[in-house]
Amino acid sequence: MKAKSGTILIAVLLVSLLAGACGAPAPPPPEPTTPPAATTPPEATTPPEPPPAPETSIVIAIGGDPSTMDPQYADDGNERDVNDNVYEMLLHRDPASGDIVPGLATAWEEIDDTTWRFTLREGVDFHNGEPLNADAIVYSVERIIDPDFNSEQITFVATVTGAEAVDEHTVDVFTSGPDPLLPARMTWMKIVAPVYTEENPDDFLVAPVGTGPYKFVEWVRGDHVTLEANEDYWGGVPSIGKVTIRPIPEEATRLAALQAGEVDLVKGLIPEYLDQAPKAVAASGLEFPWIRINTNTAPLTDVRVRQALNYAIDKEALAEALYGGYAAVAQGQILTPGHFGYNPSVTAYPYDPQMAMDLLEEAGATGATLELVGESGRWLKDKELVEAVAAQLEAVGLDIDVNIAEWSDWLDLLFAGAEAAPDLQYSAHDNVLLDADRTLTGMFTTGGSQAAYGNPTVDQLVEDARTETDVAAREAMYYEAVQTLYDEAACIFLLNLDNIYGMSENLDWAPRLDGRIMVNEMTLVE
Amino acid sequence: MIGITAYFIRRLLQSILVIVGVSVVVFVITRAIGDPARMMMPLEASDAEVEAFAVRMGFRDPLHVQFWNWAKNAVRGDFGDSLWQRVPAMELVLERLPASLLLCFTAITVALLASIPLGILAALRPRSWLDKLTTSFSLIGVCIPDFWLGLMLILVFAVAIHLFFTSGYGTPRHLILPAVTLAARPWGRITQIVRSSMMDEMHRTYMMTARAKGLTEQKVIISHALKNASIPIVTLAAWELTRMLAGYTIVVETVFAWPGFGYLALQAIQRRDLTLIQADVFVVALIVVAMNISIDFIYATLDPRVRLA
Repeated sequence: MKAKSGTILIAVLLVSLLAGACGAPAPPPPEPTTPPAATTPPEATTPPEPPPAPETSIVIAIGGDPSTMDPQYADDGNERDVNDNVYEMLLHRDPASGDIVPGLATAWEEIDDTTWRFTLREGVDFHNGEPLNADAIVYSVERIIDPDFNSEQITFVATVTGAEAVDEHTVDVFTSGPDPLLPARMTWMKIVAPVYTEENPDDFLVAPVGTGPYKFVEWVRGDHVTLEANEDYWGGVPSIGKVTIRPIPEEATRLAALQAGEVDLVKGLIPEYLDQAPKAVAASGLEFPWIRINTNTAPLTDVRVRQALNYAIDKEALAEALYGGYAAVAQGQILTPGHFGYNPSVTAYPYDPQMAMDLLEEAGATGATLELVGESGRWLKDKELVEAVAAQLEAVGLDIDVNIAEWSDWLDLLFAGAEAAPDLQYSAHDNVLLDADRTLTGMFTTGGSQAAYGNPTVDQLVEDARTETDVAAREAMYYEAVQTLYDEAACIFLLNLDNIYGMSENLDWAPRLDGRIMVNEMTLVE
Repeated sequence: MIGITAYFIRRLLQSILVIVGVSVVVFVITRAIGDPARMMMPLEASDAEVEAFAVRMGFRDPLHVQFWNWAKNAVRGDFGDSLWQRVPAMELVLERLPASLLLCFTAITVALLASIPLGILAALRPRSWLDKLTTSFSLIGVCIPDFWLGLMLILVFAVAIHLFFTSGYGTPRHLILPAVTLAARPWGRITQIVRSSMMDEMHRTYMMTARAKGLTEQKVIISHALKNASIPIVTLAAWELTRMLAGYTIVVETVFAWPGFGYLALQAIQRRDLTLIQADVFVVALIVVAMNISIDFIYATLDPRVRLA
């Protein structure tokens, strides 16, 4: 036995020596940096308060650790789950309809082709006491579009060229051309505090300071983030005093933590676990699984074959079997009714295997072999969905060659360009700007980054709509483009997935269309 | 003494070669599989946006230029900023190291404490019910998937009876379940090796001598048989520990949301965070090399016939 304990001791010593030798000792987790605040109320500067009464604190489990607390750099859902509560945008979205509503700006108008003017809400301060004024907006805009900053979010503000203060509470945002999407872009871009960000570049990455309903308290990487209610929030003091956000990557563990009462809300509850959660809520979300068709290769050049592919799929059955009913059939377009450009007169291809077989017969494509590329693990039930689709296509007389590709191979194929694209490829689309432009440009215009379809009529409509500032005219263009893509069966339209959350019995909350987890919309009941 | 110093220097030089070699291989492989820029940007980003991003990140420089830029900073201890988190990559790895070390050393301690007495008892009474039970359970321990075992332990000990927490970090009530899950496999293997090495030793003639000179049975077993049986046990335990430290904890850390560096490595790979992968692999290589050197010294301590040559 002596030898054994000796082994362990020596090993421990060596490894700890090593850890010490190859660099600075592991730094302590980021300190709960108190923002450099002179004007914050006295209780905010005292060390962490005693935990508030239990009924005013909740724990939320999300899928992974945020990559950063910088709200303008990463394209990272985990970061957003935290920062959506800490930072705000000029404009917000209505939780249910997705309509644009006032946020930090109370009014906005287009004053010429390349200028939008925003009137700021008065009397709003950042959590460190800095005032929210036109300079903060200018700083935030210039920061995110700075090429040297190299933001992963640049695509959301692609047309923005700068901003200028008009007076203390009025600011102009400039675009490279007419951009009807600018208000939508401003529901994305978070506003940062200029003095704090500039003077504490390192703290800023780990200790956010915004104007939102919750103030940052601490972040222990990989373990938790703690937030507390902002007593001075312009939208009213949140009813829940303290929020702990924990990354729990494994879905089964998230459910177990909910069952054990360790957490009150879990994001991304999978359909199998619905019955086991104390309570589950769902709302239509933004995610659309879809199957791209390469319309340049025979027999997919024939519109009848593409229509047959759509008739062959039993969308209701997929929604029921794979997603427990928590998915809606995509209505012949990859847009939700909340998206600008959604065409309400287009409806899904019905499930009609006989029609599919007849169309294939007519086109002489019965028995054709098609490659279907899928991937595994990135999206909910991605592989299962591809396999189910393949089975349904085989049922109408096609020979489907399923290839579940590794993520980087899958990406290469998706962006390979129209010539090299596989016959069919599964992907999932998520358009948070809630405007048809982002969807149609990337997926259905000639040369679009993931397009394998091209049609001059659609190209023209999408291009014109991009700069058309007359709302009705612009909407009409999208209606026509959506109708054309439907008639042409430009892809296989599948489903629109719900966001599902598991909740403890005493938490009350209605999930949002945009998928943001807004704690100030939640209440605890007895 | 000279011998040991010379040996140590030689091993150190070999180790440096190993670490450099591993770094080069990882550098090349991570850049050969897929475009990191594409993986970092949203799917909807246009080709031009991705290209501009990639150029600014330096992904379009020739490979040898990229390697030189990395290597000249790495020798100064600067492994660059994580592409994904934008803070120094080595800092991220070292911040997570204590949690992983705690988990691994607890697990190997649990495994050793549970396996050595059981293995000895089983060896002393071959084919008894205790032996059969030990053999079967150690086999289960080796075969059981840690993913499944972890979830079962959570369901029983955290959900059904609130003895431990389902996940997280901080107290012994957080540590026990992941440590036991991680210990299952080494426990099974070490138990088997303790049993078989002890059975070999029990039949050696020196055992008869030891008994003949009047030593107590306890002393015969512990000081003679176990000491002589310890080389394979140490080898296996060290190998299991090395394997855990080298990333075998990924599954357990994921299931239990344990903030260790195994899970960090997994995320780094998923995000193609090249600098973070690089820093992570560097630390793992250092650990493995250090473990190997320490094992050699332990051998020499245990068995004077082993020379450090």
